[in-house]
Amino acid sequence: METTVSGRTTRKTFSAYKIIQTIIGILFGGYLVWRLISIFILNPVYGADTWMRFTISGLVLGSVYALVAIGYTLVYGILFMINFAHGDVMMIGAFGGYFVFEALDTIEVNSGGQVMPFLDANPILSVILAFIIGIGVASASGYYLERLAYRPLRGAPRLVPLISAIGASIFLQNAAQLLFGSQRRDYDNPAVLNRNAGINIPVGDGTVVLTYTGIFTIVLTIIILVSLYMFVQRTRFGRAMRAVAENKPVAALMGIDVDAVISRTFIISGALAGAAGVMWGIHLALVYYFVGFLPGIKAFTAAVLGGIGNLPGAMLGGLFLGVVEALGPAILGISFQLKDVIAFGILVLILIFRPTGILGEVLSEDKV
Amino acid sequence: MKIQIRHALTTGIVSAIVLIFLVLIGFHATAADLIGSLLDFRTGAPVFGLTPLMINMLLLFTIIGIWNGARGAKCHEPDSLSKSLVGGLVAGITAGVLFGLLAYIIGLLNEMGVRITLYLASLIPASVRLFLLNLEPVQAGIFYLVFLMITGLIGALFAYSIRSTSSKRSVKDLWGDVTAPVTRQPAYRTAMASRYTKLVFYAILLIIVFLLPLRLGQYWNYTIGTVGIYVLLGLGLNIVVGLAGLLDLGYVAFFAIGAYTAALLTAPQPHNLQWGFWTVVPIGLVLAAFSGILLGIPVLRMRGDYLAIVTLGFGEIIRILSRSDMLASFSGGPRGVTNVAGPTLFGQRFNSPEAFVYLILLSCLLIIFVTNRLKNSRVGRAWIAMREDEVVAQASGINILTHKLLAFAIGAAFAGLGGVLFASRNAFTGPEDFSLMVSINVLALVIVGGMGSIPGVIAGAFVLKGLPEVLRQLDVYRVLFFGGLLVIMMIIRPEGIIPSTRRKLELKEDQEIEPDPAHPESTSVEVADNVVQSDLQGQEK
Repeated sequence: METTVSGRTTRKTFSAYKIIQTIIGILFGGYLVWRLISIFILNPVYGADTWMRFTISGLVLGSVYALVAIGYTLVYGILFMINFAHGDVMMIGAFGGYFVFEALDTIEVNSGGQVMPFLDANPILSVILAFIIGIGVASASGYYLERLAYRPLRGAPRLVPLISAIGASIFLQNAAQLLFGSQRRDYDNPAVLNRNAGINIPVGDGTVVLTYTGIFTIVLTIIILVSLYMFVQRTRFGRAMRAVAENKPVAALMGIDVDAVISRTFIISGALAGAAGVMWGIHLALVYYFVGFLPGIKAFTAAVLGGIGNLPGAMLGGLFLGVVEALGPAILGISFQLKDVIAFGILVLILIFRPTGILGEVLSEDKV
Repeated sequence: MKIQIRHALTTGIVSAIVLIFLVLIGFHATAADLIGSLLDFRTGAPVFGLTPLMINMLLLFTIIGIWNGARGAKCHEPDSLSKSLVGGLVAGITAGVLFGLLAYIIGLLNEMGVRITLYLASLIPASVRLFLLNLEPVQAGIFYLVFLMITGLIGALFAYSIRSTSSKRSVKDLWGDVTAPVTRQPAYRTAMASRYTKLVFYAILLIIVFLLPLRLGQYWNYTIGTVGIYVLLGLGLNIVVGLAGLLDLGYVAFFAIGAYTAALLTAPQPHNLQWGFWTVVPIGLVLAAFSGILLGIPVLRMRGDYLAIVTLGFGEIIRILSRSDMLASFSGGPRGVTNVAGPTLFGQRFNSPEAFVYLILLSCLLIIFVTNRLKNSRVGRAWIAMREDEVVAQASGINILTHKLLAFAIGAAFAGLGGVLFASRNAFTGPEDFSLMVSINVLALVIVGGMGSIPGVIAGAFVLKGLPEVLRQLDVYRVLFFGGLLVIMMIIRPEGIIPSTRRKLELKEDQEIEPDPAHPESTSVEVADNVVQSDLQGQEK
């Protein structure tokens, strides 16, 4: 029995749920601590350079996750629905960039006296073009996705738009498979952005290569995220977006066109996914119809991790998830085949222990 | 007029996008083949240089073109013939220009010798030749422009003639007119009101279902078996999603647990236990139910979207684990488990698809019976209350915790049974049998059939698993079709093909419920009361 300030007595309850939560927490935490001690102190398997390499690859991957995660967060913040097809919008963006690179590779230009593909003659212009097309197709598909699959369902019970989103995701994936085939395609990067070239950093006994594509991805992500944050916080449209997220009827009374705001939100989130897709292609090369699925789920995990509806949270969550995924198999001593299990495991653990995420506000029951 | 033309333009663009998409995914070739086999028109001498395959393909385009024209001609107010024709023409020209452009571009690329398949995988050279009708690029483009223009005009005429002859009457009304002489008979009404009619109907259905496998060949029995297993899965998921309102996307995990239980205990390979089939069935059921509870505990507090993602995660974890090398010595790894034992009865092994169909049908009947009893029981009503509003349900004295776990456990047990049957019928099980697509398929059939309704689930299983087997040629497009169907279903008929009464009312909440013609003064509240009463009556039976 406890006595609160107001004088009323309340009984502290131990629900079955709390007990299970605590048991799982102690078990998992204990195992993690034991693994950490054994891997770093008792018998160190990897040197500092390997850890560094893992961390770098995790950060690069994490920044792509962050971009996609922000798309989830933006949409969830406004409509309280998981845009299940968001990962597939990223896939569309990746294909957009791929075809730009392929097309530019076939165009021959004369530069400095020798004939070479346009791609290698003007690498910066090519990359910018790829981003423009990738972002363009992705944001267009985001817009039409909302228009066709979600808007007719506004106000329906919550399962309805979710199922529609699942359907849209399946449709997009299979349309891409039928259109472009199942084979995995490599981005034909311009020579400057060779995936193996990079800066050599001496760490410990060896050297770690910080690839140019990795640097490019991280820097671009940071630029995009900072400008998006400024956009949401400072501009008139950002204010309208936040108002709609807060309360749609009141926002409508204040003269905000709610439908237009929702449409634009989908365009923005599609654009971010498109940028992420092109970066994915440039850095990891692999592009095929299923490429959006796992990053999509993982980015959703990242968004939940950071507190869904929270922009900086999504970014932190993405980076955190990327690093954990890269370091996880090594720390837990399991095979690298199982790194996807780690991402899903984190998602489950977060939702069990702290469904509001790291930076998340305390959501009311019906939002969770 | 301006609105009309804009409407026609939009229609034309939409039709052109549909047509272009169909051609780019190679659907025209598949459809031509399918139409050919349906009409039995596949070989013959070319007419005007068009082979039978081309004519079949043009038949598909004609249907779309006519639809395009009819839609383009339709506008808000009743229009004159000339306005209709203009609408159809504009829609036809718009679609024709875009589609002709596609034909021209593809023709040019083909002439230049670009390997189109490299980028558009479904556009194999044969499909390209079929699409271009053996014409020059420019000719093909112009041909399609004229073709869509003419079909657009025909469609406009068609729409105009339909509008001028019949007023706005739905198919349902027409059907009512046709059947009126029968339905008005007093004898018919008494027969319909009697509960014996229903019993006789079910008995006839049962006899047909049990006699059918004798008449069908091995292939069709196999197909029916697959449909039956999906009915089992659908009924299980129906409890979780339809009754308790918990969206579970990792449902395949329980299916996998059932299948792996059967495989590992009966197969000679990884463990050499070689238990009998009948011992394994209850073990599979219990293990699946137990894992359902295990999954249920951590997700007790979650709802809707979060639940969906977490269960999806669980399903993927199970699949990745079963595929990984880590568990290869335990679960057979990526290559799966072979030589799963089939059931024996009185010392006789029966492994043929015909025999298995009966086993599956019997389990389906059992599960249908159980589901039906559960649905109208105290537990079933508690689930529905929980689905409607968890807080209110809790306040009314329903133990949310136990009922959620019960829903997960029972749903999982059904899937476990399905898994055991699946593995022992195929005599094989492997990680690739349990992809996310299975969960999605089951969810799709539950939703398309009608959430919470048992006949709906059965109908859904037949439509989504049986129909694609009949139209084998369309197999490639099946999943694409599923995706589109989910979206369209949610928009036009979220309650499903055969909805449960409660669900129908729930989703049509905002719309005015039409008063009962027999009691014109009755309000929607009373109608709802009637429904509740009929529900209660159903329980008393």
